Order: sequence, then C-alpha cells, then structure tokens
Amino acid sequence: MTAGSPLADIDGKARRSRPYRLAGPSWIIPVLLFLGFFFVIPLGANILRSLQSGQATTNGPLFYYVKLLTDAYYGGVIVETLKVAAISTVLCLIVGYPVAYFMVRFAGRWNAVIVFLLIAPLLTSIIMRTFGWRVLLARRGLLTTQLFEWGLIPRPLNLADEPFAVYLGLVHVLAPFMILSITAVLQKVDVRLEESARVLGASALGTFFRITLPLSLDGIATGCILVFVVTCGSFLTMLLLGGGKITTLSLLIYQQFNVTQDVGFAAAMGNTLLFIGLICLALQARFLRRTGVKS
Amino acid sequence: MTAAGLALPVRRRRRVRYGVIALAFYVLLFLGFIAAPIVSVVAVSFSTASFIAFPIPGFTLRWYWRIIEYKPFVDALIVSGEVAVLSTIFGTLLGVPAALALARSRATAAAIVSNFLLAPVTVPAIVLGLSLLYFLSSLSLGISFTALLIAHTVAGIPYIVRTVLSVYRAIPPDLEEAAAILGASRWQTLVHTTLPLVRPGVFAGGLFAILTSLDNLPLSFFFGSAKTNTLPVVMLSYMENQFDPSIAAVSTVQMLIAIVVLLIADRVYGIEKLTS
Repeated sequence: MTAGSPLADIDGKARRSRPYRLAGPSWIIPVLLFLGFFFVIPLGANILRSLQSGQATTNGPLFYYVKLLTDAYYGGVIVETLKVAAISTVLCLIVGYPVAYFMVRFAGRWNAVIVFLLIAPLLTSIIMRTFGWRVLLARRGLLTTQLFEWGLIPRPLNLADEPFAVYLGLVHVLAPFMILSITAVLQKVDVRLEESARVLGASALGTFFRITLPLSLDGIATGCILVFVVTCGSFLTMLLLGGGKITTLSLLIYQQFNVTQDVGFAAAMGNTLLFIGLICLALQARFLRRTGVKS
Repeated sequence: MTAAGLALPVRRRRRVRYGVIALAFYVLLFLGFIAAPIVSVVAVSFSTASFIAFPIPGFTLRWYWRIIEYKPFVDALIVSGEVAVLSTIFGTLLGVPAALALARSRATAAAIVSNFLLAPVTVPAIVLGLSLLYFLSSLSLGISFTALLIAHTVAGIPYIVRTVLSVYRAIPPDLEEAAAILGASRWQTLVHTTLPLVRPGVFAGGLFAILTSLDNLPLSFFFGSAKTNTLPVVMLSYMENQFDPSIAAVSTVQMLIAIVVLLIADRVYGIEKLTS
C-alpha cells in the first residue's frame, strides 16, 4: 500500500458509503481458530461425552440425562438450583432497587462515590467475601456475639452453615450487578414523567408503580437474568456457607469431580447447566427486543 | 403516606424529603452490608487468636509470616500472577485485531462473529473448565501450565473484545483516513494512529481480564496440581483442612495486589478515562 491508492479514493463515491477500513477480515482468523479449537470443540466434545461414555454406551445415549431428570435426588438438585437462583434474584432485586433509585434520583455528586463503593468489592476475591461472612456468622463471630449480647438469640449459635448464610453471601456478591443494571436504565427515564404524574394527582407510590417501575423494566430484566445465570453457575458460596444443606448443580459437579470422577455424568450435568443459561439468554434477547419495539 | 393529590408543592417537598432521608439511611446501611465481611476479614488477619473470635484478643503479624512460610501460598501466588498476565497478553494479541476488523462492519456476519467472541463469558466457568480439561487431556496437555493458560485466555478474550469494540466504534474513521492520505502505510497507521486511539479500550479490557483471571476459581481448580495451583485453589483446599486467620491474611494480600494493579493502571492511564 502506497500513498497512491487512498488518494485515488478521495473523489470516488465509494468512499462515502464505505468508510476507511484499516483492518481486513483476515484479522479475525487467529481468534476464530483459537476459540474454535479451545472453546467450540471442547464444548461439543462434552456433549458427545455425555451421550457416549460410561454407562451411556450400554444404557442408551440419553441415560445420564434421564437419570438427572428422573432420579429423585438429582431431580431435586436441579429444582434446588433453580429455587436458589430464583430466590437470590428476587432478594437482589428487592434489596438493590431502592439503592439504584436513590443513586439516580437523589445521590447527585455522591453517585460516583456509591458506584465506587459498589465496584470496589470486586477487587477482593470471592473467597475473601465468603470467608468474611463466616467470620461474622460463626459461633464466636462478630455478628453472632453482638446478637447474643443484645439478647436477640438465646445462645451463641453457628449461623454460618445455614441456607440463610448462603442467601446472604449471594446477595452480597450479586446485588451490585443488579443495581448497576438498573441504574443504567433508570438514568434514561425522564424525571419529568414522574413529576407530571404527581402534578396530575398520582400518589408517590402510585407514581412509582405506574411510571418508574414499568419504565425501568429493561434494567430489571437484564439484572435479574444476570443474577440468575451467575447464581446457577456458582458453587463457592454454597460450599463454604451452606454447610451441606444446599446442593446445587454446580456444587454437585465440583463434588463429583473431586470424588467419583464419573466423566459422562459430570458432562451431562455441565450441559444441563449450560442449557439453563442458554434459555435465560434467549429469554433476555426476546424480552429486550420486545421492549425495544415498544419504545 | 397517602399524599393528597393536589397537595401544595411546599408540603409535598417536605414529605418527599423525609422519604429521601429514610432512603439515604437505607443506602448507608446497604453500603455497610457490602463492606462488613471485607472489613472483618482484614481485622481477623491481625488477630492473635488462632480461631475466629470477637472481640479480637490482640494484634499480631504472625499470619502474614505464615504466608511466607507456607510454600504453597507463595508458589500459587506466582502461578496466579503469571497466568493472569500471560493469558491477558495472549487474549490481547488475539482479541484486539479481531475487534478492530469487526467494529466498523455493518454486515450480519460481523455481528454474529462479535457475539461469538463474547460467548465464553456466558458459559459458566465450571462447565468451560470441565470441558477443556477432558479435551486437553485427550491432547495429552491435561493438567499443565499450558492448559491453565489456554483456559484463562479463552475466558479473557470476551472482556478485551468487548471494550475495544465499543471504544473503536466511537472513534470516527477520519483520523486513520487522514493518516493514510498523508502517506502512512497500513502498519504505520495502525501503530501511530489506531492503537493509541483504542488504548483505553485495550487497557480497560486487559484490566478486567487480569482481575477475573486472578479470582477464577471455578476454571482454575480443574487444572490444579502442585505446580499449577492458583491462589484461590490453594486457599480453598487450605480452608477445607484448617480454619485459621492465615486465610484472612492471604485474602488481604490478594486484595492489596488488586489495589496495586489498579493504582498502576491509574498512574499509567487514569481511572476516570477507563470507567467512562
């Protein structure tokens, strides 16, 4: 390429319809090869493995999936996975929405500070944050000791190995994502719409439920799907705070991998988890497109 | 709270302000909730008690010494650092050219390819790790540093592609066009015009990739061995056997490392430019 060819382009009309491109399609090839080889093929091989290894070779290709869905224990684990994800999603929404609302409508110059305080915990490892809840909730932990001294609990209990602790840990890790998803959309909602509703006689709550909430549904949906998918895929919180009382699909994969090494079954569980995630993403794409058409 | 519909503006403002104060108080509580476990881990890391107890009986640096004495912690810290930096470099080399090629194309194929490059972030890390382990084992790469590096590179590419795509889309093509018109070769345009312009995107994406890699337990634990354990993997296995404040000390050190990375990023580039 010399200076000649771009100069020649100047008076050609093609230049206007097609802006200057530095990079050609060939620049994509390395990353496509890399991800094709180390992302697509492994996931594909994982599907094959779940259909054609171990007991699936003798009992039919869908053996592991049938076992996963019909066996009382494994079926229960799938239900529990969805239940834990749904509950933590709702909790994040309830806990997070007021914070998001405050940040957008009232925080002003403090908004940046709150955003920083929400993002800063991401610099710590999830192990640290989960361990922190153990520190607070253990038998001689800070929170337990305080509750005991205030007479709220009869004796210093170990609150760390309870489903309650799992939800606390999940909300702690995931609520910031929910909040930031909601503020992104809420920022675009014109405050004058709320003011108009008030001027026209709506109560504060009425304005919130009829104007603000519907207009921020996009952000709520994005946040909810994000929290739901991440909860489905996480096992550390359940492992460290659940005390064996909550078993989800990802925790089961982790345990199976450490204990039994049933390759085909682990693959089938992984694919089921992936499938749940894909359904969520499809829902998101559909939902966002629909609201996009409306507006 | 049933505000009369046609209340005077003055009265309404007063009522709203009480609500706002309550809301502000709630937000403060929430931020306390976010900070509580982190602060308490830092506090415990200085505790003289070898179990978790409050109030902390005394102040000691013993647990920080324990990190240095316990070899797996130090080894894992080095492995974690190497994997994070190398995987981010590879991810950048693979991701940035692709993002530059895709950003300005309006073809459907380009949109599909872009989505494909972002896909690894939507696959649960535990599934990606499991699949990659068995696949790489069949190539006799199994549990090795190379395998760990490949896994982290796959996971890091989406972060880099995403930020570079959005930064490059916002830059008008005029500047590169001007460089080309003034006689710069393709390579010169890339080095002197395009790369400096997209640098904030590369930087922000790389920072995300490094920070996620440092904490990616669900991906790392599949490739764990004495030589390839990353810090979170060692921490988890340590916690399963004993429960002393050295975990708190390691966590605090890891947090400090992340803060230092961020401060360096701030020095070199400026955090405001990264987040905007």
